[in-house]
Amino acid sequence: MSQQKKISYKELFLNGIVKENTIFKLALSLCPAIAVTSSLRNGFLMGVAVMFVQVMVNITISLMRSFIHPRIRLPIFMLVISGWVTITDMSMAAFAPDAYKQMGLYIQLIVAFASILARAEMFASKNNVMPSMFDGLGMGIGFMFALTVISFFRELLGKGALWGVSILNAKPLLIMVLPAGGFFAVGILMALFNWIDKRYISSTTTHH
Amino acid sequence: MTNSDIIKITLNLVVVYLIGGLLLAGVYAKTSPIMYRNAIIEKDRALKKMLPEADKVEKLGDWKIHEKAAEYFVAKKGDKTIGYIIQSFGKGYSSYINVLIAVAPDFKVLKIDILSHAETPGLGDEIETPEFKGQFVGKSVEQIRLVKTETKENIQAITGVTISSRAVTDDAVKNGLTFLIKTIKGGA
Repeated sequence: MSQQKKISYKELFLNGIVKENTIFKLALSLCPAIAVTSSLRNGFLMGVAVMFVQVMVNITISLMRSFIHPRIRLPIFMLVISGWVTITDMSMAAFAPDAYKQMGLYIQLIVAFASILARAEMFASKNNVMPSMFDGLGMGIGFMFALTVISFFRELLGKGALWGVSILNAKPLLIMVLPAGGFFAVGILMALFNWIDKRYISSTTTHH
Repeated sequence: MTNSDIIKITLNLVVVYLIGGLLLAGVYAKTSPIMYRNAIIEKDRALKKMLPEADKVEKLGDWKIHEKAAEYFVAKKGDKTIGYIIQSFGKGYSSYINVLIAVAPDFKVLKIDILSHAETPGLGDEIETPEFKGQFVGKSVEQIRLVKTETKENIQAITGVTISSRAVTDDAVKNGLTFLIKTIKGGA
């Protein structure tokens, strides 16, 4: 990341979605990836919340980076993260009460996401605002994408429904909405994602 | 660590806490009245939804189930009592399920609704589906009994969600109705 050569915004953006996808590549933050993905709506909303926090944290840390004393950078990062998470939490409780009823607990857990702290430490604290924003956006969208895909398959197979609307009139694989099915879904989709990436995406770029 | 380090660290923390605190206070001031209003609106809406034809819903009193405070109401149209609404709780798989039950003056169920619960997401929350809640309509307290086979007479459990189904049926609704009948008939 800290190479001298200039990295384009597009590359930064795509990095979080494909090359360093939080769930499928780095295998970080798997707890929420399993806990909230039993329905498409919750998976998607969680992804949006995480993306918002990631972008705001990256921007804040990047703006503050010359001001923060290196010795206390981690406590400061945590303060910034928990501040933004609390703002997200309160706003969601006020403006999206229905969704908040189901996801409130997980929203507060975003504070402990390894992926958000990792981006603050590895990227935002060393880069300018614009690159940090695009890095956060890429990472956030990558996370949202992963959660959406996982919850799509879990709700479809486990409940025969999508976004709460029944479409199959049957429950082909009830286990998919249970925690065990969450592990299956994440594992299988992770393998698939990496296979597609190896075969079609990474091979066409010059990096390999 | 030099003195200037200590000063800088102190300054760092003070500034971050101050700005963070002010920001949170601002957001809280904006959102907390909305949250409070949401809670009241939701309760009113939930009560209205239970008996849409009522023009007045009056609180009759409080009661307790599973050590939790619940309320019961009488619904009136003009001066005529058209039904009762009682709030009740059932002990589910991972939470207490908060249920509203509306009954006609003859204590047959008109409607039930699940207000809140923290059952397994994606599984236990099947109790919120109209298919399950609809089964209660028209049933008398004697008929409120969970069975695992297909039934028109009683309440059929949701596949894989037996504990939550039972909590709603045999716990919340049954106990709520029993209490209501005893109180209204005994008191009136």
